[in-house]
Amino acid sequence: MDYLPVIILFGVFVSFATAVAIGRISKIFCYVLGTIGSALGISLSLWMLLGGANRIDLVLWQVTQNSSFEFLLTPFNSLFLLISCLVWFGTCLYSLRYDDYPNGLSSLLVLTMFSMVIIILAGDAISFLVGWESMTISAFFMILQGRGKPDVIRKAAFLFLGFGEASTVFVMLAFVGMFSSVGSFNFLSTSTIHASEITLSWIFVASLVGFGLKMGIAPFHMSEWLPIAHSNAPSNASAILSATLTLMGVYGYINILSHLGHSELWWGWITLVIGGISALLGALFASVSEHSKGLPAYSTIENNGLIIVAVGVYILASYYNLPLLSGFALIAALYHAFSHSISKASLFLIMGWKSKLKESFDLNNRSSTKAAKDGTYLAGMATILSLAAVPPLAGFVSEWMILESLFQSFRFGDTTSQIVGTIIGAIVALATGVVIIAMTKVYGFGVLLSGMVESNGNNNIKKMPIIRASSYYFLILIIALGVLAPGIFLLASSGANQILREKTFDIFVTGLLGIPAHFVILSGSPFGGFSPTFVAIFMLCLLVIPYAITRWGAKWKIRKTYGWFSGQNQPTSTFELYNSFGYSTPIRIMLSFLFRTKERIIQVGAIRRPVILSPEEYIVELEVLDVFKKLYDLLTKYALSLSYHAARKIMPGKLFVYLIYIMVAFIFVMLYTFFVIM
Amino acid sequence: MIPNFVIQKQVAEINTNVQISSIFEIDGRTLALLSDIENRKTILSDIPLRLGEESEIFLKDVQPGHQIDLDMGGKVEGYGIFAFPYGPVSSGVPESGGFKLITYGERIVKIIPQINFKKRGIERKVIGMQPNDALLLIERSAGNFSASYSTCFVTAVETILNLEVPSRSKWIRAIAIELERIYNHLHVFGRLSEAATQNVSAAETHVLKERVLRINAKYFGHRYLFGFNRVGGVSHNLLSKEERRSLLNEIKEITNKFSNLVTYFLSSRIFLDRLQNTARLSNQDALKMGAVGPSARASAIEWDDRLTYPIEPYNDVFVDLKTDEEGDTMARTMVRIHEIQSSVFLLEQLLDKMPVDGHAPSKLDVSSERYDEQASFSFCRIESPSGDLIHAVQIDKTGRIKLLHMRPSSLVNWLPLAKSLEGNVFTDFQFAYESYGLSYADSDR
Amino acid sequence: MVKFWVLHGIKNGILTTKYPKKEPTPEEIPLKSVPPTSVQESNWTVGKELCPTGAIENEANIDLGKCIYCRRCSDASFFFEDGTKSRKTALQAKILQNKDANKDLYAAFKTKAKTFQKSFHILMIDVGSCNACNIEVLNLANPYYDLTRLGIFFTNSPKHADVLVVVGALNKAMTNVLKQTYESMPEPKFVISIGACAISGGVFKDTESFVSPVQDVIPTDVIVPGCPPTPIQILEGLLLCMDRCVKGQETDMIKSKGET
Repeated sequence: MDYLPVIILFGVFVSFATAVAIGRISKIFCYVLGTIGSALGISLSLWMLLGGANRIDLVLWQVTQNSSFEFLLTPFNSLFLLISCLVWFGTCLYSLRYDDYPNGLSSLLVLTMFSMVIIILAGDAISFLVGWESMTISAFFMILQGRGKPDVIRKAAFLFLGFGEASTVFVMLAFVGMFSSVGSFNFLSTSTIHASEITLSWIFVASLVGFGLKMGIAPFHMSEWLPIAHSNAPSNASAILSATLTLMGVYGYINILSHLGHSELWWGWITLVIGGISALLGALFASVSEHSKGLPAYSTIENNGLIIVAVGVYILASYYNLPLLSGFALIAALYHAFSHSISKASLFLIMGWKSKLKESFDLNNRSSTKAAKDGTYLAGMATILSLAAVPPLAGFVSEWMILESLFQSFRFGDTTSQIVGTIIGAIVALATGVVIIAMTKVYGFGVLLSGMVESNGNNNIKKMPIIRASSYYFLILIIALGVLAPGIFLLASSGANQILREKTFDIFVTGLLGIPAHFVILSGSPFGGFSPTFVAIFMLCLLVIPYAITRWGAKWKIRKTYGWFSGQNQPTSTFELYNSFGYSTPIRIMLSFLFRTKERIIQVGAIRRPVILSPEEYIVELEVLDVFKKLYDLLTKYALSLSYHAARKIMPGKLFVYLIYIMVAFIFVMLYTFFVIM
Repeated sequence: MIPNFVIQKQVAEINTNVQISSIFEIDGRTLALLSDIENRKTILSDIPLRLGEESEIFLKDVQPGHQIDLDMGGKVEGYGIFAFPYGPVSSGVPESGGFKLITYGERIVKIIPQINFKKRGIERKVIGMQPNDALLLIERSAGNFSASYSTCFVTAVETILNLEVPSRSKWIRAIAIELERIYNHLHVFGRLSEAATQNVSAAETHVLKERVLRINAKYFGHRYLFGFNRVGGVSHNLLSKEERRSLLNEIKEITNKFSNLVTYFLSSRIFLDRLQNTARLSNQDALKMGAVGPSARASAIEWDDRLTYPIEPYNDVFVDLKTDEEGDTMARTMVRIHEIQSSVFLLEQLLDKMPVDGHAPSKLDVSSERYDEQASFSFCRIESPSGDLIHAVQIDKTGRIKLLHMRPSSLVNWLPLAKSLEGNVFTDFQFAYESYGLSYADSDR
Repeated sequence: MVKFWVLHGIKNGILTTKYPKKEPTPEEIPLKSVPPTSVQESNWTVGKELCPTGAIENEANIDLGKCIYCRRCSDASFFFEDGTKSRKTALQAKILQNKDANKDLYAAFKTKAKTFQKSFHILMIDVGSCNACNIEVLNLANPYYDLTRLGIFFTNSPKHADVLVVVGALNKAMTNVLKQTYESMPEPKFVISIGACAISGGVFKDTESFVSPVQDVIPTDVIVPGCPPTPIQILEGLLLCMDRCVKGQETDMIKSKGET
């Protein structure tokens, strides 16, 4: 066995662990160590994905004959390690300058990353659950550090904790099912488990609910916890939460599916429907959100929905024994997870910076009447375009792949599946369209038109270089993910090969119509083809050639004039400018059946003619209600009153201490069962 | 004193059915012109009135050179509220006047018309001018209402000077006013069709309007009826019988065509959908805010100067008054369509019963022989195409103008427009604006 | 109810004017709204009473830009009324002002006009008119004159406009707006002043709100006299900016400057 990767892996662990320990003393060292750990992780996972080794198994402690603490590195989980480390690298870099919170935040941030590394590498259920639980709890404490109204932050944090623990319960249920059929906790490192159909379905449903809760997809919550929790955390924490914490959900779900080795028809249907609904509702709610970080959080729901849809196609295709389609759908899911994580982290970081500058999370709140150009707008534009699926950026390639796999739903051997696939395809297409509204909104009102660097004095100008560096880091990644699509496809496919059990890269990536080999991505045997690289070259030509002609071939005179406000003076206050609320009000009014929009214009036209009458107030209210929110509000209300009465009787102590106690007790119980049962 | 109107010392109580139409100062006394809607009477009163800032704009003359926001008062509060500037340079409104739309997107919460961008101060300019020279300015106050303007002014001046004007001239003035009403209503309908992108309807209506303008040019010498009116007479007398008959035939052909076509135009559901329920003005609001003209009649206010303040020919002919109760854009459109018909009917009567003999030579200098110091003041009300137009004139010993106060119809209709647009969406704006037939030139006289 | 609009249209025939291929009919340029052009032998003295805006300086000099077509002079049979000969309406303000540099300016004007030979977009700005000029400009879109057949279109924003059509007597409140609108237009651009008010102030020349003729505030290329000018006259002014006038008319136009 080659020792170098093990050493690098050890390095990753050491740097993260040191960073957690040192966080209290020095933020800077903590983040630098985090950056080093992420860089090591990137190199390690790249080495694995490019064929360095097939499987690295590290048995830390052989507890009994068939159960052990075990770390496992395969191409599949090294793909997720790569995505996470790429995000963390940028986030740590950004936090060097962004973080002005108490020192605890840096430790917690790195602790969350560390837990995720444990989740990804876990070869047994115990280490997985330990990582899962410590990730949830450290994220909970991170959200508590958020700035805003204390009660809002507390509510957000406890919501997160509540849904996080619910997720843990369902994941445990899934693991119980797997344990019962394998008889060992090391089922994550075995290939396929064999069990009765009922047990398999049990595992499927429990894992869908458990991981789905973490991803924030449709029926398990809608507008409630994920957007609230993610948007109230400090921005570097939100980036970690939205880009990688939900990625852990994707990882867990696909990982468990890959071990089932068998699929049922209704699994596919449920997955498709849940994914489609999440995508559409996420997009719709994103388009009416006014929170500069809540909007990206809703968009996370949309993107997770798309990933789930692709997984659904994968399940159905494997049910109908269509290896080509199932392979393509799985790679599409992984590719989309990749591109979404990178873009979303970038968006959260930029929005966090902008919110910090204007000291408000309200998209409506524009601090100035002029456009702000502080170096992040370029990265912001690439991010938005990627999330809105504009070629040739990352988001387009993956969404194209997902839609192409849905287009091929006619290959399913059953009319019902074909209909379900077609309808979900239409819904997904609608969702990717609607999300453009949200993205243009967040770019226009969030990135371009708000947050002047100068507004807060020199302090922020000093911070700019690092912020700009991190934004350019993500800009390069987003462009590379799109333009170098065949390379990324290679990484994703080598990650998927382990599940598909065959090499798929050469089937899907060829040359076509004069485009050299390894540059066209095919979506079937031949169904659709697309070359992001050449599209990028073509688009670049479209930009460069006219520019060159006008620059050198013609007279070129630039005259600057004022903006045009139909002949009136330049606006002096932000009240005179179009705002983001107005931008999405038509959607609120048109879809009032969905949003339950309540428009209340309470007014008496105060008429001041020669005689009589006094002015009266106009009060305008427009609120968007969410059915799910109402339901969960009701549930929370009863649950809270119940737990309040229960807690007062049972435990009048401090909640934080109690939570840590729960975690310790949980680990203890797991270990106890481990020893007793083995 | 004006012979027909005794200035009332007291109006016991200004109830809601009495509108204050105009206020002016003569020799240091403030007089108010009230319209008693219920009894269809004009009252001249000198009771002291509480005047607010807004009423100054409405009822008195303001200095030119700066814009004025016609704010109805009331504060707008709420999340996401912003102001949306519209005008003074815009394509929807071809004149220089603005609107400030206060909105949270899509829905108009409140709308503030901005006027006075092109206030020319005609009322100040004409002081000390000969009435006939002043006429050149007055008929150019609002080009598309010029016949109403010149007739209104000329009638008031003639009353003061006790001029013997041949009744034929007065009948011809009425003919010109009705022609003006027809082409203005056609213009409004055409603009409404354009707003709804009913291109066939718009094209057909604009063709008919152009033909009326050409008739104006043919029989009155000017497409917009400038310059045919003089103090003491008119310049075009429609002497021959053939001329009168062909005028009637031509105008009848046009309006018949319009009434045939309008049934088809209004059978388009898309068009009707845009008109119905748009910018509803309740009867009470219309009364309170002093709406006049077709827009007031569409809100069930039975006031038409041709009936309630009839000058010469209107006493001898039958005027058909049409009102509607809905108060929406559709009602205003229907009232206008009906008024085209009734105007043709009026033209038929006017051309038929017109006194045959006696046409006055047009004179430039008005002699002040018959000047009576006691009756140096008079006013006149004319139903212009978009409503009641009031001119109050005072003339000094030398026959020159001492005071001119104009209260155009558009000025008082801005607030009803603003009020009725509340709660409508952006795309309804064009329909509401066009249906009132307002003109900035009119209000910025 | 169904109506066959195509048949209806065919039955109606072609209403659109033959201009600029043929001379306009007298109906399209009403005789009586056309300015007088030549002086008749007469004993009348020219005074304020005869010409309230002072367009007639003496028997030989008539400033069309000031004429408001009040017809007092024609009532006094002071001038001929001849519609067909007097249709020389669209003048270049610059050429009018600098008679010496006539030819250079005219050549520059021609090259600019060549740019817009196929099509352009116009924006109307009202700086204090009485609404008659506005309606006449809007009338250009009706089937009788049909602007779009010549490749001329209305636009909403000065950022898209090639030609600025100015109507009305320049008001204090609109001066900055006019300047701003002109600034916002991309180069090359034309400015057309329409009506006596825009060209000279017309009847509103002495009001307190009047600032100056439009050409004193922004450079004006073409003026179209009239009160209001008929749509055909406005069309003529627009076609001048496209270098698409009726043949032989341009030379005629320059010559008429020399004479008047």
